[in-house]
Amino acid sequence: MSDPSSINGGICVAMTGKDCVAIACDLRLGSQSLGVSNKFEKIFPFGHVFLGLTGLATDVLTLSEVFRYKTNLYKLREDRYIEPQTFTQLVSSTLYEKRFGPYFTGPIVAGINSKTGKPYIAGFDLIGCIDEAKDFVVSGTASEQLFGMCESLYEPNQESEDLFETISQALLNSADRDALSGWGAVVYIIKKNEVIKRYLKTRQD
Amino acid sequence: MDIVLGIRVKDSVILATSKAVTRGISVLKSTDDKTRVLSEHSLLAFSGEAGDTVQFAEYIQVNMQLYSIRENYELSPYATASFVRQELAKSIRSRKPFQVNVLLGGFDAKKGEPGLYQIDYLGTQAELPYAAHGYSGFYTFSLLDRHYRPDMTTQEGLELLRMCVDELERRMPIDFKGVLVKIVDKDGVREEPNF
Amino acid sequence: MGSRRYDSRTTIFSPEGRLYQVEYALESISHAGTAIGVMAKDGIVLAAERKVTSKLLEQGSSSEKLYRLNDNITVAVAGLTADAEILINTARVYAQNYLKTYNEEIPVEILVRRLSDVKQGYTQHGGLRPFGVSFIYAGYDERYGYQLYTSNPSGNYSGWKAISVGANTSAAQTLLQMDYKDEVDLEGAMELALKTLSKTTDSSTLTHESVEFATIQKLDNGKVVQKIYNPQEIQVLLSKTGITKKDDE
Repeated sequence: MSDPSSINGGICVAMTGKDCVAIACDLRLGSQSLGVSNKFEKIFPFGHVFLGLTGLATDVLTLSEVFRYKTNLYKLREDRYIEPQTFTQLVSSTLYEKRFGPYFTGPIVAGINSKTGKPYIAGFDLIGCIDEAKDFVVSGTASEQLFGMCESLYEPNQESEDLFETISQALLNSADRDALSGWGAVVYIIKKNEVIKRYLKTRQD
Repeated sequence: MDIVLGIRVKDSVILATSKAVTRGISVLKSTDDKTRVLSEHSLLAFSGEAGDTVQFAEYIQVNMQLYSIRENYELSPYATASFVRQELAKSIRSRKPFQVNVLLGGFDAKKGEPGLYQIDYLGTQAELPYAAHGYSGFYTFSLLDRHYRPDMTTQEGLELLRMCVDELERRMPIDFKGVLVKIVDKDGVREEPNF
Repeated sequence: MGSRRYDSRTTIFSPEGRLYQVEYALESISHAGTAIGVMAKDGIVLAAERKVTSKLLEQGSSSEKLYRLNDNITVAVAGLTADAEILINTARVYAQNYLKTYNEEIPVEILVRRLSDVKQGYTQHGGLRPFGVSFIYAGYDERYGYQLYTSNPSGNYSGWKAISVGANTSAAQTLLQMDYKDEVDLEGAMELALKTLSKTTDSSTLTHESVEFATIQKLDNGKVVQKIYNPQEIQVLLSKTGITKKDDE
């Protein structure tokens, strides 16, 4: 009921494909059972790395600002954008810094390493433990539903358009089984030199 | 629970707050103003713990005034909302958090567009066409969902607000002594006297 | 000289009402490589001369006179590079803090004033020497558009249409004053900056090794782009403007 990570609701999922990755989230912001906004995006780009943040909405906003701050300084000092692997370590240490008073979020990272060209995804718990997966990572109030959908729909090495279909169906059908998720969705398909962002039309209840 | 309502229409934002101050079973005042003017084009409406609310609102108010004096420039409503959010987000992880929820109505004079921002005591911020804090939302969102249009005039907005307040008067268990209505548009902040 | 008794601490005025340490800092800057900033109606140019001390010195890829402070502001440095890096780091952090607080890019003048306040602090609070750095700031913001500022170790700052700092600054300033036109565009400003730099330099010619160059401009899509030129691009620029050789030769 007053569990901080399920006050506002929302979900996020990332998947790898053949030379591509996808990351998607719903658009709902709620206050318990009341829907507040249907434009609350939970995915934030930092150069060619994408961060999905679910959980307590105030922490989602705070962390997106913190990582914008840190990656901007990184960009100025290194004269290049941060890589997904490096960013994953940054997320982990930033969260663990608040080990005994944590941000109530479940972050996921997706991107393609600009040096190697390899897809990369990772998930975290609220204190920064890294879960590096080769297939998919999930997060949010419908994470169990997402695990189920991903387990049954995912297959490795999909082309980007097939990956888009897989991740969209996984997200939408998970959201439909969760009262706190849904109200629209966003999907990013990320290839080496191209990013496509699509808004999905979904049921509004 | 206090009533705080906001509606963003085509070229203004309307904010309404209940005029009653209640403590336990008593109504202490029936002419309360739960708003503070932050700058020429932005208005903060608030609800929450007695004491905390005015302290917080006036803290924000003086900070915005200080910015205006230093820079000789008015912050945009979105920048103001971001500042308010940051203060509440800092507060929630402090020893004694402010228990304050706010609506920020503003008119971005540079862009020529109105903006309504809802921020709760946790620091959860959302830009919305219409917003409420507390119980008043449960009674009014159905009306607002049905009748709201983004291209409404201020007059039509006030008529929609009237419907909302009538509904609240019908269904709220205590007398909230009516609402104080303020409008923010390109000409600044003004009170709607005959509401 | 009479200064000896009053120059050991920055906090103390001399009987003539002077702050010697600040003047020494300014003096040290007047030996540093020249930096020039020229504002056009559609952008700003920064050009700086770096002193090549030895042929054996590795030429790092990163610039040592031009730095980005954030997505909207570039600075040119004249003076002690080590001192400058401290201030630049302060500025970058301050700009990101502003962005985090207001979700808006910091207005140029606020950042300039902030850095100038830091510099001023070292002319008053004793025991430490002032920062031996002058900056030229080139920036863009939504409030006042393109802006060009300079600040010096005393903590003063001022806005300009065209400005120079470092060695031969008075000669450069005279040239800028003669040749600057209010309606100049970025192309013209680039030429003016390089011509002025080539005429005031102590070395015989400008080369891609001795010049650093940057522009800032707002594109039609509303994005502000800062470009710090690499040596090859500078070479192209120098031959285009025809100042690879000294004019009077």
